[in-house]
Amino acid sequence: MSSATQRAKAQRKLNAMTPYERIEPYLFLLPALIIFGCFLYYPFIRTLYLSTFLTNKLGQAKVFVGFKNYSDILSSSSFWNSLGVTLQFVLFVALGGLIVGLITSLLTVNKYRGVTFASATYAMPVAIASAAASMAFKMILHPTNGLINILMGTQIGWTTDPSWALFSVSAMTVWLASGINFIFISAGLRNIPAEQYESASIDGAGYWKRLFYITLPALSPTLFFQILINIINAFQSFSQIKLLTQGGPGEATNVIVYAIYRDAFFNFRFGTAAARSVILFLIVLAITVIQFSNEKRSVNY
Amino acid sequence: MSTASLSKRGMTRTQKRLHLKNLGNFLLNLPLMMIILVPLIYTISISVMPSDEIYQNHLIPTSVDFVNYVKAFTNPSYSFLRFILNSFIVSTCVMLGQMVTCSMAAFSFSFLEFKGKKFLFLIILATMMVPGEATIIANYLTVSSWGWLDSYQALIVPYLTSAMGIFLLRQNYLTFAKELHEAARLDGCGNWRFLASIVTPLSRPALGALGAYIFLNTWNQYMWPLLVTNSASYRTVQIGISMLYDIDAEALGLMMAGVVIVIVPSLSIFIFMQKQLINGLMAGAVKG
Repeated sequence: MSSATQRAKAQRKLNAMTPYERIEPYLFLLPALIIFGCFLYYPFIRTLYLSTFLTNKLGQAKVFVGFKNYSDILSSSSFWNSLGVTLQFVLFVALGGLIVGLITSLLTVNKYRGVTFASATYAMPVAIASAAASMAFKMILHPTNGLINILMGTQIGWTTDPSWALFSVSAMTVWLASGINFIFISAGLRNIPAEQYESASIDGAGYWKRLFYITLPALSPTLFFQILINIINAFQSFSQIKLLTQGGPGEATNVIVYAIYRDAFFNFRFGTAAARSVILFLIVLAITVIQFSNEKRSVNY
Repeated sequence: MSTASLSKRGMTRTQKRLHLKNLGNFLLNLPLMMIILVPLIYTISISVMPSDEIYQNHLIPTSVDFVNYVKAFTNPSYSFLRFILNSFIVSTCVMLGQMVTCSMAAFSFSFLEFKGKKFLFLIILATMMVPGEATIIANYLTVSSWGWLDSYQALIVPYLTSAMGIFLLRQNYLTFAKELHEAARLDGCGNWRFLASIVTPLSRPALGALGAYIFLNTWNQYMWPLLVTNSASYRTVQIGISMLYDIDAEALGLMMAGVVIVIVPSLSIFIFMQKQLINGLMAGAVKG
């Protein structure tokens, strides 16, 4: 059947419907659309609108300023510092998470006693809230009584020393992100067809050769997808910054999301906070577009 | 396994090799397993450690003391029972609500024909591209202008649907034979009844995956509850534990007991619903 006759058939079906049958599909969609309308489309447009205004303490738009909020942000050194800090954080977390996920997946790809327990352990961080993990790491990184300093015999202020704070929150986020990386990369590993290995073992290729010539190339779409997911997630991190460093010391860990929070809820500058939100949205959008276009090319169902 | 067909001597040799292989694998896994597990073990250890030992930098308590857990549950200024109850109410409502709204929308998209179907599906998928943090300020302003600050509805209503849920269930419903729907219609079974009594029971695995994922995500939420709750009576567990530090920064043991209390439900879901949870995660990857 050609698509034209199919469409004609669907059209005839639509025409034969009673008025109620015609509205019914929309009734099924209504609850979801109302929620999306109130808490996604409307706030999205309101954010765009607010970003062009000066606001009062209650967040009401008062004076239209056009793109001034944006130009103010883009010309402030604080924003560029925030962007730089965010990029360092994101890069560290995305790559760190990927490497830990890859190693743990490779360690559990074969069957042996205890592999189920090891897999469950590596996946476990996905279940743990970032707030709860942050509180646990507050203790672990405690300057005088924390685990790391006790083991190393040091008294480093992991979250208060400007040269360590960003590293500490990043490392802690890698721990948190390792679970989801493990889950996805393991799934990718298990999907590599066995035939690809068979020919290689006949040729007598060793473990490392197989890893670099067969496993990693076959896994590269998964790894690419996962690194983008890591980047998107890392851009949105908030709890660990709020609970471990409050963006400090100074502005050493003032990532974009934390800067939005600070702008809106400490300085009550909702207009610039909205402009920062739009910038965050554009960054995440760009990454998502890369991800979708890549998915279209590489995923076969 | 082929070991069954081998001779006795052959078996012992393979077993020996298996033992070595197991030991080797165990040693390879040990360092990373330690890195993942030690933070949790240490947290539990501090939570049951007498407080003077924390300050003497003990790593493992000489005696186990549950006083911090008793404090967390009985002190009126940070009533953990209330936080747990709040989180439980909010997570359950969000989970059930999303299951209902998402299955309705997914049903419409997969079984029904209507004008604008493609467009509506597209604008729902597009919501996945907007990070929650980018709209959080406008949402805060909306909710506060409605007088919803410090209420259950502020915590629940904004999360009553999700594009990921609609997408996941639609994928599931598309695997159903169209004839099933036709046959039900010929028997006089309306769409609502068809969804409730035929599609939903048949989709239990997908709904389970979605449910486990939503419940855990809501239980673990931090930023939104932080913004919209001020009084202790509506705070959720994640805000509760972070507050313990502000109340008394010296009470490290109490803080860790709080962390353990909050993590136990998350870990239980993980342990008992691991498969569903991972399926849900796979479907929801884009949304973090």
